[in-house]
Amino acid sequence: MFKKLALTALLLTASSAAAANLTVFAAASLTDAFTELGRAFDAQTGNRTAFSFAGSQVLRTQLENGAGADVYASANDAQYSPLVSKGLVAAGQAFVRNKLTLIAPKNNPALKTLNDLTRPGLKLVIGDRAVPAGDYTRRMLAAIDRAGTYGKDFSARTLKNVVSEETNVRQVALKVQLGEADAAVVYATDVTPTLKPLVRVIPLPSRFNQNASYPIGVLKGSASPEAAQAFVTYVQSAAGQQILRKWGFSGPQ
Amino acid sequence: MKASRVRVNSRPGARLPALPTALSALMATFLLLPTLALLLRGLTAQFWPTLQNSAVQDALRVSLMTTGVTLLLTVLFVTPVAYLLARYRFPGRTLLDALLDLPIVLPPVVAGVGLLLTFGHGGLLGPGLELAGVSLAFSPAAVVMAQLFTSAPFYLRTAKAGFLAVNREAEEAARTDGAGGRQVFLHVTLPLAFPFLLEGLVLTWARALGEFGATVLFAGSLQGKTRTITLSIYSALESDLAPALALSAVMVLLSFGVLLVVRVLAASREQSA
Repeated sequence: MFKKLALTALLLTASSAAAANLTVFAAASLTDAFTELGRAFDAQTGNRTAFSFAGSQVLRTQLENGAGADVYASANDAQYSPLVSKGLVAAGQAFVRNKLTLIAPKNNPALKTLNDLTRPGLKLVIGDRAVPAGDYTRRMLAAIDRAGTYGKDFSARTLKNVVSEETNVRQVALKVQLGEADAAVVYATDVTPTLKPLVRVIPLPSRFNQNASYPIGVLKGSASPEAAQAFVTYVQSAAGQQILRKWGFSGPQ
Repeated sequence: MKASRVRVNSRPGARLPALPTALSALMATFLLLPTLALLLRGLTAQFWPTLQNSAVQDALRVSLMTTGVTLLLTVLFVTPVAYLLARYRFPGRTLLDALLDLPIVLPPVVAGVGLLLTFGHGGLLGPGLELAGVSLAFSPAAVVMAQLFTSAPFYLRTAKAGFLAVNREAEEAARTDGAGGRQVFLHVTLPLAFPFLLEGLVLTWARALGEFGATVLFAGSLQGKTRTITLSIYSALESDLAPALALSAVMVLLSFGVLLVVRVLAASREQSA
């Protein structure tokens, strides 16, 4: 109850202050959800929020090299905490969770089960090692190796089939959407209403799946820290979380 | 080329006008400072060790191989086009001439979409290629196609100018001496147009080496296979900036080299003309 009151008070103060121009750096997987969330936030507060969506590792490099932004939302901790230690951003607050999934072009039967990933000649596209989605993918493969159900060299045989390592997860999904790749590992949330009619989703067993936790925080160099904090608070509010759930994310633990 | 014959209107002892000088200095600084920054950050003590890095080595190898094939294909297929356009009149020649310049002004990423829509899985020729067992996506062949599409017009332009500049009397003289068409081309036309062809090749190579947009869309990005220098710079901008900086410095040095070669070639042409 108190939390809710505090939140309302915060939103009210934010809206009573002069409208601010906010720049939010956000992981590519947040593209659709944050675009809608940003519109709702602007409508409520009168701010003008602009987004820069890219692979979190690209955003991190840009921020390290002095890019001006107010809020940073990363798809994993590895691309977030180095900025905290450098004093560039406030400690991350986990605001949303995501899961991995396998997708394949609708009319392409090459991938039916998880085991097909190792079939020689299959064209698999994943995220680059530094891209959070690519990192989660490799962890998922390692988890399958450890379980042993598919053989201890499952990940080695799967990685042999990788034909491209993309620099953000939306580019990974695009390669399947265009029908160029036989299969791809993306986030469950990347199967947007636009993509859904074009692909088949092959769910991953939950014991192998990864718990992708997204941190968010206000940048120390923000020109409008109050409005930036209001955005972070809005993302965590009931209204913000509802929009994120609508796009397939789950709430933080 | 005529443009370089224009004499500089210089009056000895004339003082530079203040405002144009100030604006020029500003613009020159703007253009040169980023290049300088790249060299300063790239050419450190770490430069050589970073060049030995496997990601960097792979990128250099992929770029050299693919641009090499691109150059071979350019010479083989574009030289005849340039020759025909320079020497013959045929219906649609003007239109063709203009259309072949299109890739120069077309954004590379659009070229990539075009290649996908033509040679991709769901593209125009996709089903046919699949029947023939040809799979271009994610292969070095796709990298070469992206480079050829975006870079070949640079060679076409210069080669055409070269064939136009060849003194026709020399060709006639060889012909009266009994040389056949092919002999005249190989022993008279080609050597005379050679400086132009070389300049065109250098420009095409530079453009192919810098290709990014079409490649990343059409060929994907995999180390050692399709990840060229530019793609590697982009993906190295991740955890570790060092390989990106070293490769960027390499590209700056190569670009200087290209400019130098083009200048030298132009100067040698001036002298022989």
